[in-house]
Amino acid sequence: MTSEDPRSLSPTPETDPRASEAPEPTAPAAPPPAEPFLRVEGVGPQAPAPEVLSFAVPDLSALAEPPADETRRRKLLAVLAVLLVALCGVVYLFVRYLNRPEPLPELLPVPVEVNYPPHFVFAFYDVNAPLGVALSPDGKRVYVTESEGDRLIKMFDTQGNLIRAFAPPRTTAAERAPVYIAVDARGRVFVSDRLQHAIFVFDAEGNYLDAILGPDLTLSEYIAKHTGQTPDPGAFAYDIFEPEVHYRTPDGDERTLPRPDAPTWAPLGVSFDPSGRLIVTDVAREQHRVLVFPAEVIAADDWTDFEPEVFAFGAFGEGEGQFQFPNKAVVDALGRFIVSDGNNGRLSVWSPEGEWLFVTGTGGGGAGLNLPRGLALDERQRLHVVDAVGQVVRVYDFASEEPAFLFTFGTMGSLKGQFNYPNDIAIDATGRLYITDRANDRVQVWSY
Amino acid sequence: MRWIRWMVPLLVVGLLVSLAGMAYANGGPHGGYTPTTDACAGCHRAHTAQGPNLLTAASTYELCMSCHGASATGADTNVADGVYTDRQGGGEGTVNAPLLGGGFVNYQSATVTSIHDVDGTQSAAWGFGVARGSTANLPGPLTCGSCHDPHGSNNYRIIREEIAGTTVTVDQVDESAKDYTVEQWPDNVTNACVACHGAYHVTRANSGEDNSDDGSGNADYGGDISTYAHRVDMSYQYGSNADPETTGYGGYTLPLTASKYVACQTCHLPHGTAATMTTLATGPNTGDSALLRLDNRGVCEVCHQK
Ligand code: HEC
Ligand code: HEC
Ligand code: HEC
Ligand code: HEC
Ligand code: HEC
Repeated sequence: MTSEDPRSLSPTPETDPRASEAPEPTAPAAPPPAEPFLRVEGVGPQAPAPEVLSFAVPDLSALAEPPADETRRRKLLAVLAVLLVALCGVVYLFVRYLNRPEPLPELLPVPVEVNYPPHFVFAFYDVNAPLGVALSPDGKRVYVTESEGDRLIKMFDTQGNLIRAFAPPRTTAAERAPVYIAVDARGRVFVSDRLQHAIFVFDAEGNYLDAILGPDLTLSEYIAKHTGQTPDPGAFAYDIFEPEVHYRTPDGDERTLPRPDAPTWAPLGVSFDPSGRLIVTDVAREQHRVLVFPAEVIAADDWTDFEPEVFAFGAFGEGEGQFQFPNKAVVDALGRFIVSDGNNGRLSVWSPEGEWLFVTGTGGGGAGLNLPRGLALDERQRLHVVDAVGQVVRVYDFASEEPAFLFTFGTMGSLKGQFNYPNDIAIDATGRLYITDRANDRVQVWSY
Repeated sequence: MRWIRWMVPLLVVGLLVSLAGMAYANGGPHGGYTPTTDACAGCHRAHTAQGPNLLTAASTYELCMSCHGASATGADTNVADGVYTDRQGGGEGTVNAPLLGGGFVNYQSATVTSIHDVDGTQSAAWGFGVARGSTANLPGPLTCGSCHDPHGSNNYRIIREEIAGTTVTVDQVDESAKDYTVEQWPDNVTNACVACHGAYHVTRANSGEDNSDDGSGNADYGGDISTYAHRVDMSYQYGSNADPETTGYGGYTLPLTASKYVACQTCHLPHGTAATMTTLATGPNTGDSALLRLDNRGVCEVCHQK
């Protein structure tokens, strides 16, 4: 909080941190910043200055020197050549970045000690009222859910080019409502569906694998138990609006079974913690809570015997330890669960054992939340909270016991960097942010 | 005067009790505000220069849909698809039962064919102070907030207490145990419609004949009331009519109010319907399914089995 963590004390952005620890290629791009640039190595005003002078003032004087200075001239030319090459490099990277705004991890590492808000980079529009967003483990694939139109799950590259769109099999647009997405370490894509009361699981390319129909039931398990045969992955389908479950036997015949009993849960937010546990918010009527699925069961290849020891916490209401439409839960570096308690307008923080600790992000002022939804922690334990009605993203420091508000970015509107009912956020390892901007029908990309 | 010592606390307690009683028993974040919760924040941006008027008509729809949309991320009533996403009453029962209001995008898993278009562009309403079959502009554009008061109200389903300049009363019936999928309407549920569609509020007998005066004190909007303006706020029992709620026709039923009255909502859904309409009557219809509950003239057949 205090001495070990100066961040929370300086919420306002500081001057561009890159100026001081500038890696060589970037700084010279600016016109002769002679003074501060050189003073880094120099000792002071009376330091032997010839080199400095010849560099900063018109070169004519240097060239007029007697040939005894040949070596110096060579040195100078060499320096100029290096600078020229560096400048070309910077220009090239700049132009490339304009054309294909990709992350530049090696060149621009996220500075560690200073907090300044990110900046808008670009937006992509091939989505209809997007709600959830998640990234593949390598950060190269962006998965987005749509809440209007065809209500598909769409896979993009980092530049926003659509690669593929997919949906739970056998459902029509009116029968599905994909909301939040989580991608596990193997790249499998878990999508919660509010109408289907299920979590559909796809491989990284969007091929359907299985569905989690309840805290202790998967579709493959249901079919295996009723047929005595383990079905091939994805060779079965479920639609809550149909009375039957469809499956294909190993010899290729299409068969049906009666649908399992109506579900008793309503999975909404999904996320993975660093240890691979699946964290689900459950908004079944008046029993709002968080469910934690152990990593081993979820990571297993086969879910035909799906009996995870799920641990649950929370209840419905507006009091301590209660939720109203918790939209997402994530786990911080201290192992705490942080829950966006949507309709209560706050963040609810729980111990690793599931004991309620405190709420934060309430009340007025810059730090107060209206309708918190999507959550994402970056590598520095900064929690990004999307406020759907506040039309902003608020950022809090969760690195220490006591969280602190850092800064806010975004305003309401439809211009660049403005939000219209934003809903979810994902952050890659290089500090690039993907934010679903629902009523503007786009995904915004920001960067630190 | 010793009694004053007792009276003051008594009065204070009395005042508090009556204030508490006034708190609306509305669902979700609508009404029932207490000073301790920042209940306004869920819809209004807190403490910024832009106040509530930032909520323009178009954005009212998006605001409501950020909880009541297809993904129902902040409510169980998904008005986009017209379904209640959970079980009613918590116990047994199916999930995703159809909502009483219909849907704005889909209804009963099919795309809607007519809706009350709440995107803030429509304002001409049929029979709003003019003859049935003609339209007149409402004071403002149609949004969710034209019919509902998101801040809570003493009416059923937070219907506004004033719509288009008219005071509106629709009695609450299920405030203690709400059910959004089974009708339990008060007899005055028609009032939710007639503030905007006054010319359709025909309550006299023989409405199919001479309507130059509807005999009930309702304004006569030109005496043209004829074929399609069905009498409402009356019992269904005339002639040989079957009980539309229980008997129905061909498996179809229609809902009535508590005293078995016919209301506008007996035939129409307030949000939107997916009914199809292939045999349009001539007349001032807009060429769509007119928010009807059943296909074609199904709503007529359920009672008048011809
Ligand atoms: C923060 C989330 C949220 C927002 C935003 C919201 N609602 Fe609601 N609303 C709820 C919840 C929760 C309920 C309780 C029923 C349920 O679970 O669906 C509810 C109930 C209702 C009801 C039924 C009231 C009753 O008496 O039973 C109506 C009508 C309604 N909302 C209309 C609106 C309209 C119109 C808007 C936009 C101006 C809106 N809502 C915005 C969450 C919300
Ligand atoms: C469920 C969402 C919701 C909540 C909660 C809510 N409002 Fe509003 N409010 C609206 C909408 C939508 C409008 C736009 C006007 C309309 O359509 O009635 C509005 C308009 C207003 C206005 C402008 C005047 C008017 O009535 O049109 C004021 C003032 C206001 N709200 C105050 C409040 C206060 C104070 C609270 C908390 C006690 C609150 N609101 C809570 C949705 C909400
Ligand atoms: C033309 C008036 C009108 C408009 C416009 C309207 N509603 Fe309603 N709404 C009603 C009526 C009437 C009911 C009560 C239905 C019943 O119980 O029979 C209702 C019911 C509801 C309910 C309870 C669930 C249900 O279907 O019974 C919710 C939630 C709701 N409305 C939200 C909204 C939202 C959100 C909007 C805008 C997208 C909206 N309404 C626009 C008239 C309207
Ligand atoms: C706030 C004013 C308002 C209220 C209240 C209202 N309506 Fe309407 N209604 C309109 C407007 C405006 C239109 C025309 C524009 C549109 O279709 O959206 C309309 C259109 C209609 C139509 C024709 C739809 C079509 O597709 O041609 C029907 C039928 C209708 N209303 C029935 C009702 C019923 C039944 C109720 C009560 C549940 C009701 N209205 C309450 C404003 C209102
Ligand atoms: C017995 C069923 C029934 C009842 C009750 C009823 N309507 Fe209708 N309504 C219809 C039918 C059928 C149509 C479609 C007529 C057509 O095809 O043009 C219609 C059409 C309408 C239209 C569209 C414009 C037009 O005239 O075609 C409006 C507006 C309307 N009704 C409002 C109301 C209102 C308001 C009430 C309650 C006062 C009401 N209706 C009660 C059956 C009914």
